[in-house]
Amino acid sequence: MNFKEIAKRSESGALTESKDFLMKAVAANAMKLSKEYDITWDGKTFINLDDDMADRCFQAGRQLLINTGLYSMNSRRVIKFSESEIDDALRYTRPEIKMGRGKDQVSIHHRQVEDERKPFIFCGPFNANVHEDMFVRLNEVFSREKIVDCLFFPGYLNEVDGQLIRPTSALATQMALLYGQWAREAVRRGGRPDMPIAGHAVMAPGEIACTNEDWGLRSTDPRAMVLISELQVDDVTLTRLAYYLSYGCPIYMAFTPLIGGYGGGLPGTAVSAVASFIASIMLGGEIVHIGPQHMKYKQQTNQHSLFLSSLANQAVARNSNIISTTSHTTSGRPGSAQYAHEFSALALTSVTSGSNVSGPRPAEPLGNNNVSPLMGKLFAEVAHAAAGMSRDAATPIVEALYAKYKDHLDLENAPKGQPFEELYDLSTLTPTAEHQAVYDQVKEELVKLGVPLT
Amino acid sequence: MADANRIYEMMRKSIETYDSDAAVAAAEQAVAEGLDLLEAVEKGFANPIRELGEAFDRMEVFLPELTLGADAMKAGVAVLEKALNEQGGKLEKKAIVVIGTVEGDIHDIGKSVVATLLQANGYEVHDLGVEVPSTRIIEAAESHNANVIAMSALLSTTMLYQRDVIDILKNKGTRDKYYILVGGAPVTQAWADEIGADGFAHDAFEAVTVLDKVMEGRAK
Repeated sequence: MNFKEIAKRSESGALTESKDFLMKAVAANAMKLSKEYDITWDGKTFINLDDDMADRCFQAGRQLLINTGLYSMNSRRVIKFSESEIDDALRYTRPEIKMGRGKDQVSIHHRQVEDERKPFIFCGPFNANVHEDMFVRLNEVFSREKIVDCLFFPGYLNEVDGQLIRPTSALATQMALLYGQWAREAVRRGGRPDMPIAGHAVMAPGEIACTNEDWGLRSTDPRAMVLISELQVDDVTLTRLAYYLSYGCPIYMAFTPLIGGYGGGLPGTAVSAVASFIASIMLGGEIVHIGPQHMKYKQQTNQHSLFLSSLANQAVARNSNIISTTSHTTSGRPGSAQYAHEFSALALTSVTSGSNVSGPRPAEPLGNNNVSPLMGKLFAEVAHAAAGMSRDAATPIVEALYAKYKDHLDLENAPKGQPFEELYDLSTLTPTAEHQAVYDQVKEELVKLGVPLT
Repeated sequence: MADANRIYEMMRKSIETYDSDAAVAAAEQAVAEGLDLLEAVEKGFANPIRELGEAFDRMEVFLPELTLGADAMKAGVAVLEKALNEQGGKLEKKAIVVIGTVEGDIHDIGKSVVATLLQANGYEVHDLGVEVPSTRIIEAAESHNANVIAMSALLSTTMLYQRDVIDILKNKGTRDKYYILVGGAPVTQAWADEIGADGFAHDAFEAVTVLDKVMEGRAK
C-alpha cells in the first residue's frame, strides 16, 4: 500500500479519542475475537504445538485489524484498511530482504516453523545507554563477532561532556551525527565496514541527521520504527517512514504486545500481536520485530511471554511471508548466568516457532554500557543451534531453563551484572577470564540440556 | 442497615461487572435513602475497587477490566460527592495528585494505571495525559493546589524532563510545596536521587504504597 495514502488517512480518518480506540475498538474486539476463534492457553504450555490454533490466531488478528484499523496518536484519527488492501499487502510481502553491501551484504528470510535455515542475528547494545567514551570500542567488539549479521541499535548517547541531551535540541542532532559516524567507525574497526547497522537514534530529526552514505547510516542499513501498544502509531514513526521509504532503507518495524494490557490476557494479546504484525507491513515494514512484553514482569522471558512469542510467531510463519524477528529482554543482566539462561529459553522458543532473533538486552540496565558482546555471541550460537530443532525437542530444554530463573524475574532482585568495562579487558578488548568462565559454564549447561552447540 | 448493605452490594456488583450506569443508579439510591455517604464511598466503591486492583496485580483481570471498573467507581463516587457537597460535607482525599508523561514521550499505559490505582485508593488525581510540557505540569499543580506531582518517562532520552520540572520549581521557590514522585522504565532510584525527586516507584502498586507512607507520615 502506498505510504502517501497512509499519511493521508492519518489526517482524514475518523476522529476518535485514544481511550475509545483502545477500549471500544481494540480491547472489545481482541477479547471477542479470541473467544470466537477459540484462542486459549492452559497456563502451563511453553511452546505452542497446536498448528490449527496458530492458523486461527492469524485469522483472528487479520480480522482485528480490519475491525479496528490503526490509531494515529497525534492526529487522533483512525487509519482504516479494507480487507482487500490487507490481503494485497500480505500477498506481496517480500520473504527475503538484503542488507549491507559488498562482501558484507547479508540476507534475512521469512522462516517457517521448525525451519532448518539459521535465523538472522540482530545483535548489539540494543538501545542500552552507552557512554561516548566507550561507544566505538564496545560496538567494534560486537561487530567482530562473525556470527552477528547486523549490528543492532548501537546504543543511546544521552550525554556529552557530562551534559544530558534534551531530545530535539541542537545537541541531540549533534550527537545523532556522531552516532552515525561512530557506529560506522566501529564496524570499520571490526573489519566489516559495510555490514548493516540497524539504527535507532530515537527522534526523527536525529535519524535523518545520522544518515550519510560515506560516514553514517546508509540506504542499505535497516532503520527501526515502533508501533505503540496496541495498534497505535505516532508522528515520529510516520515521519521516519516517510523519509526512509523514499531513501530506500529496509524498514524494521517493532511492536510490543503487552500481556495484561489492552489486549487483555494472553489469548487477546496474541490476536493483537498478529494484527500488529500485519499493521507493520501495511505501513511498509519489511522486517517485523515482536517484543512479547508482560505488563507485570516488564520483560519477555516469563512463561506468558514465551508462549505468546511461540503462538504469534507461528501464526505469521504459517500464514504469511512476513519476516519476523523476536526481541529478547531479560530480568538478569549481562555478566550473570541468569541472563544467558533467559535469552536461551526465549531463543529456543522463538527460533523453533519461525522467528529470527534480536537482542539480547536486560529490561532494566544498570547505568552506562551494561552490555556484553560475548553474551551476544552465545545468544547467536543458541539461536543457530535451535534451527531445525522441533518444538517438541525444544520444550523440555525451555522448561529446564525456566526452572532456573523463574524465581528471580523481579527486576529489583535479578542479578545486577556488570558493565562492559568490567567484563572486558580494555587493553585487548577481550573478555576477562571471569566473564569467559560464565560463558563456558552456561554453554556446558546448555549442551548437557540438549542444545546442539558446537 | 440491611438496606445500606443491600445498596453497598449493588455498588460492589457495579464494579465487578464494570457497569458505570449501575454504579450511578446505586449511588443515587444511597443518596435517596439517606445513607451515610462517606461510609457508602468506602464500603460501596473503595473496597471493591481496591480488590479489583489487587486482582489486576495478580493478573487475574487485565487493563480493560481495571479501566472499566475505575470508570464505574468514578461515576458512582461523583454522585455521592455531589450530594455530600450539597449537604455541606466534603469527601476527604489522601492528597491531590497531578500526573503526566513528560514532554516528548507518548507512552500512556503505565502512567494511566498509576492514576487509576491512586484514584482507587482515595487520591484526587488530575491526569494530564502524555507529552506534557514541564511548565504545564507546574501550572496544573498550582491550579489544582496539588500536594503531589507524579511524572512518568518511558524513554531514557525524555527522563531529563523530570529533572527540568524540579529545577523550574526550585527557581520559582516552590519546590518544597510538592512531593515529587518519578517512574518509568529507564527511571531508577539513583536517577530520582540525582535529580532531587522525593520518591521513586517501579510500578503502580509501589506508587500507591510510597504515597500512602508519605501521607501517613504527614498526617501524624
